[in-house]
Amino acid sequence: MVAPPKVAQLEAEAISIEERSPFQVVMRRFVRHRLAMVSLGLMVVIFLITIMAPVIAPFKIDELNVNNYFVPFGTVDEETGRTHYLGTDNIGRDYFSRLIYAGRISLTVALLSVLIAETIGIIVGSLSGFYGGWLDAVLMRFVEFMLTIPTLPLLLIISSMLLRNENLVTIPQPVLTFLAKILLLNPRDARNAVLIVIVLAGFGWLSAAQLMRGTILSVREQTFVEAARSLGASNIRMILKHMIPNAMAPIIVDASLGLAGYVVAEAALAFLGFGIQDPVPTWGNMLSATQQFMFDKPWLPLLPGLPIFICSLSFNYIGDGLRDALDPRLKL
Amino acid sequence: MAAYLVRRILQMILVVFISAVATYTLLSFAPGGPLAGLRQIQQSSRFAITEEDIARIRAYFELDLSLPVRFTRWLVGEPRGPLTIGGKAFFSETVVGCRKPIESEILNASGEYEILTTGCAQVVYLKDLVGRRTSRGILFGDFGLSWRLLRDRPVSDLIQSRMAKTLQLIGLETLLSLIIGLPLGIYSAVKQYSKFDYIFTSLAFMGSAMPSFFFGLLMILAFSIIPKNAGLPFIPAGLSESVRNYTIPLIGQIVAGSTADRILHMILPVSVLTIINISGWSRFIRSSMLEVLRQDYIRTARAKGLTQRVVILKHALRNALIPFVTIVVFTIPGLFSGAIITESIFAWPGMGRLYILALGDYDYPVAMAIFFILAVLTVIATLVRDLLYTVVDPRIRLT
Repeated sequence: MVAPPKVAQLEAEAISIEERSPFQVVMRRFVRHRLAMVSLGLMVVIFLITIMAPVIAPFKIDELNVNNYFVPFGTVDEETGRTHYLGTDNIGRDYFSRLIYAGRISLTVALLSVLIAETIGIIVGSLSGFYGGWLDAVLMRFVEFMLTIPTLPLLLIISSMLLRNENLVTIPQPVLTFLAKILLLNPRDARNAVLIVIVLAGFGWLSAAQLMRGTILSVREQTFVEAARSLGASNIRMILKHMIPNAMAPIIVDASLGLAGYVVAEAALAFLGFGIQDPVPTWGNMLSATQQFMFDKPWLPLLPGLPIFICSLSFNYIGDGLRDALDPRLKL
Repeated sequence: MAAYLVRRILQMILVVFISAVATYTLLSFAPGGPLAGLRQIQQSSRFAITEEDIARIRAYFELDLSLPVRFTRWLVGEPRGPLTIGGKAFFSETVVGCRKPIESEILNASGEYEILTTGCAQVVYLKDLVGRRTSRGILFGDFGLSWRLLRDRPVSDLIQSRMAKTLQLIGLETLLSLIIGLPLGIYSAVKQYSKFDYIFTSLAFMGSAMPSFFFGLLMILAFSIIPKNAGLPFIPAGLSESVRNYTIPLIGQIVAGSTADRILHMILPVSVLTIINISGWSRFIRSSMLEVLRQDYIRTARAKGLTQRVVILKHALRNALIPFVTIVVFTIPGLFSGAIITESIFAWPGMGRLYILALGDYDYPVAMAIFFILAVLTVIATLVRDLLYTVVDPRIRLT
């Protein structure tokens, strides 16, 4: 006796391929992008180092080693036995510790800016794209208006105002305490960082909103949205459950490229003297503070400059890899 | 078309006006200004400054006028006094500001004393503005007087000399980027997947991720400091010409301020700007060439037996240039912004550096003037870009 059903089943098994979720598909494609993977690994290492800053850094950011200015690499502090791995800066603060804490601050500022900018962008973009009409016209005219103003000069004016005038903007105390805890600073110093995040995100959401609107417009015409509507889904449910998840691909790529942009923008502001100010270390202000010693101690400005470049390059590669993985036709 | 132009120009004026109002207001909230430090001087008995002196100085810098009045005087040079129609003056009793504000310390909610303006001891009427010096207004090319950088000299003096320096940088940058970047991008696209293409795209990728301030430092280190310390020929960095004569090994003495000196000083900033710019532009022209090369008419052109050269330059490049031209036009105002950072690294005495100095030194008339110029330039560039769309691609119609 033969068993034909069994054979058919076997055959079916033989031709069916392994099932993969969309996430797995994207992951497999991302892993194939070698430079993106290397960058991701590098960023994980840098993030881990900055997260463990209090454990790794032998000194505090404002600990002055009086009379030990510009000590060479690896000098051991006689009193406490701790090592200045990268020497000290012009006023005797440990360079290695400051670099690590600076990374923590620079990266947190960039991450927060991206998070806020993309969130506002998603909300404004999807409202504008979904409802259209006068709401779309008002929102998009505003975005276009903001984009025609030269950004860097305006950023400089705004941040110079905000930083100098303490009473102009009041930031809720809980926000300050929360950020101060993350950054391991006192709340007063954290104010500076919050302001820079506000300034950066305040301009960053514009392009995210335009991007989101464009994607929503194309998603809106697709059949699954029609299906959801015919099943009686409310507008809010359609936006949240069906459209935004399907319009996320460009936003994710934009966020990754945005991280690179914000790390550089924060550093550029600090470099020009209108960013986070000195007692608080960031890569940008360390570079600008030590630029004057470049002639005989070139490592002082180069050491904080290098991680800025590495982060910028890595986030760009990761964004590139994500684009290839999520949607190779995407133009960003 | 005419209707479109009119609408666009009205829009442009609105954009410039709103951004001017916003930044002017923002800057007026800023601390500092010409009065900074006066109160400290007041404390010492040797330079006793009376209330009257302060009022006079405030009036001199127009700080006694209320913000809207000050703004319109800055923008168009009005009002200069009461409105006179047929020999009769109107509104002459209108209050436009406060000559001597009453300041008092007030306990605020958080339990700290703040100095607040609570009243006015002597107001300024519109009729008081008669005979007061005023600028003709920024719209008519009069930028007013500098507060601190060049005290009491016209802002336009400061800007004119620096504008030329910035234009030198940006002009050279644009020219070199086009001459070098365009062929690089085209060649890379034509030889897609070749070794050259691979190296070029990775370098361009790195270039566009490179922060200009870090790149500038690397260039100074590599071409100025290290060779100088090693006794090799070096390229001078910093300022646009040197202060005293210097000798470059193997080349000879360079006289300060000579043409050779100026050219040498230009090399580093221009190369930093150009290299970063090329990495953006050539990547763009490459991808736009690649797109065109896939089109059917390119295959047709090849099928007709045209040479590679003609196909690339006549058929492909012309079409690839369409989006590129608009990108170039639109990035030109951005080049001014880019110059802010590069000029700061090389201490290049241009507009960007002046802008940073003015903001840092509370010289707001200078900062506002530069911002205004940049805003106008950007808005004009946006319009030119949109118009160019129709010129290079007649299929696009503006409505």
